[in-house]
Amino acid sequence: MEIIEKIKTNKSIDNETEIQKICLNKLQSSPLPNPKSEQWRLSNKSKFSNFLDYSINEKDPKFDTPFPNTSQGTIRLVIGNNCQINLIGENYSIQQLSQDELDKYIKEQISCFDQDENWSNLLNLSLSNTKNILGLKINGSKIPSIEIFSHSSSNALSAKTLVIFLEKNCDVELLQVNLGKENSSLSQSTYFCLDENSCVNHGVVSYGENRSNLLNSLNVIQQKNSEYNLGSVHFKFNYARFEISIKQSEGNAKTNIKGMQITKKDEQISTYTKIEFNGPNGFLDQINKSLADDESHAIFEGTIIVPKIAQKTNASQLSRNLLLSNHAQIDTKPQLEIIADDVKCKHGATISQLNEDELFYMRSRGITLPEASKLQLSSYFQEIISFIPVSKDRWDLLDKLLNEK
Amino acid sequence: MQSTMKELDPILEVENLSASTDNLPILKGVSLTVYPGEIHAIMGRNGCGKSTLSKIIAGHPSYNITNGDIKFLGENINSLEPEERAQSGIFLGFQYPIEIPGVSNLEFLRVSTNARRKFLNKEELDTFDFEELVKEKLELVKMNHAFLSRSVNQGFSGGEKKRNEILQMALLEPKIAILDETDSGLDIDALRIVASGIKKISNAQTGIILITHYQRLLDEIEPNYVHVMSDGQIIKTGESDLALELEKKGYEWTDNFIKEN
Repeated sequence: MEIIEKIKTNKSIDNETEIQKICLNKLQSSPLPNPKSEQWRLSNKSKFSNFLDYSINEKDPKFDTPFPNTSQGTIRLVIGNNCQINLIGENYSIQQLSQDELDKYIKEQISCFDQDENWSNLLNLSLSNTKNILGLKINGSKIPSIEIFSHSSSNALSAKTLVIFLEKNCDVELLQVNLGKENSSLSQSTYFCLDENSCVNHGVVSYGENRSNLLNSLNVIQQKNSEYNLGSVHFKFNYARFEISIKQSEGNAKTNIKGMQITKKDEQISTYTKIEFNGPNGFLDQINKSLADDESHAIFEGTIIVPKIAQKTNASQLSRNLLLSNHAQIDTKPQLEIIADDVKCKHGATISQLNEDELFYMRSRGITLPEASKLQLSSYFQEIISFIPVSKDRWDLLDKLLNEK
Repeated sequence: MQSTMKELDPILEVENLSASTDNLPILKGVSLTVYPGEIHAIMGRNGCGKSTLSKIIAGHPSYNITNGDIKFLGENINSLEPEERAQSGIFLGFQYPIEIPGVSNLEFLRVSTNARRKFLNKEELDTFDFEELVKEKLELVKMNHAFLSRSVNQGFSGGEKKRNEILQMALLEPKIAILDETDSGLDIDALRIVASGIKKISNAQTGIILITHYQRLLDEIEPNYVHVMSDGQIIKTGESDLALELEKKGYEWTDNFIKEN
């Protein structure tokens, strides 16, 4: 718990920014998340402790992105590596947020933070220096696809922050790739603000190397008539948490989420989602899939909050889970908190093993059991993967990684 | 015709086969021999063990063989995995073909075909070569090319699923095909298409076992032998006129036969 000791004494972080000071102060009073809180009770203590064992790394070594060369027309950014960004096309502009804009926005966010729910955000902002915070303002249409990479460095804890403002009527595809290097921890926090009539297809692909850890938090605020589509996959982490908080600030917006986590060996990966409707006519369609093999542990906890003001909300949340081993563990808890009386809300959860009828059908056609299992798993993933905005030629590497034993 | 067939070695020999699932005996001593070029029909009430027999021959892991042997081309296959049986040339046409969402029919057919081709020491087909082969076979069952891009059996009508089974049979070129109630749920036109497909695929080197309740499939494909099953046993074997007699007299007639024996 090296980081926590340093936060307690506030020794290690030199030249901290005002934001870092605010967050460090908040953490100093209770430097660890409450293990009895709903968000943290299932978290593996020793793995979480491993996350905090590394020293903070403020300067990244040279980073080679694992994907092939950028597809034509794709804009690629690496958090921590970029100079001033000011891209202006015929119908669009992508500009870096000024320090004042960033500080103002982040301070507003911090003022609403809850110590338990936003512990990961507080830690991230305590450790992210100015260089590792990327803020973008995106405007226009026919915007080229954007890829944003975030990565840790071996034997270190890295903290990266991304803030994106999508302006009115903007429509964009954005893929975020979070890479955990061997024996490392990555704290990634992302803030998305969708202005009226804007739309984003957001992909989050997070994967690690040997014994890497990830705390990934995603905070989205949607103005009316905006559409937020999220496709995500998390795999190959010793310990990972994906915390999603989405607020439809005035309702009248659409949110589609398709997420997946794959755990093997003794890994623990969890997804926590909180979707709040703060106005009428909101729409949500969410599916989260987990696949747990060997002695691993996958967790999903989802909350949908529908207050009285959110009449005519239409929300659906489904958790589907596959247990591939007798020693693996899955915990899932989709839940609804509804006050409004004129809504359509449903939720559900299933936990099963590979479908034996499908397996026998494939085997009766000469397909071996491992091949049949692979085909069945691919079909299980397909619904999620097809929702992630990744061009087909980029999937070769991910496909290989997904099928690694 | 019979004597010509029997000069050859049998394709399939089921010898005094007993089997159970969850300690519940289902088959109680079934014997059946199929020679090249022969078509056998198995009839019987629901629950008499017809489908179980077909699944056990195909190697379904839920059933245990408690006695007897299954020999395919002279080799005992009791302990072979389902995929090994399929690769060596045993085909089971399912009564209820399984839907596999997310797996494209084309890819499924290609992987299956290549598994069989590999066993036969034939060159495996890439996507382009396979498309050519499958186009030709689609004609046999009058299926539209669009079915290939859909998920396996997902959203297919009952008739389309059965035609997809026969398409698989055509691609895999089995030595023996066991077709479990392939005629159920088919309208007259679809039945004719399926029957015509089966006839075109079968030849003097292959054997076919048709499991059915109705004479209408046997009007299209005339069997050499008809077996009647009851309570896990074959209680009567005859030629094609046995099916007609069964259609006329009903299964109560076979009950009397059991009592008499």
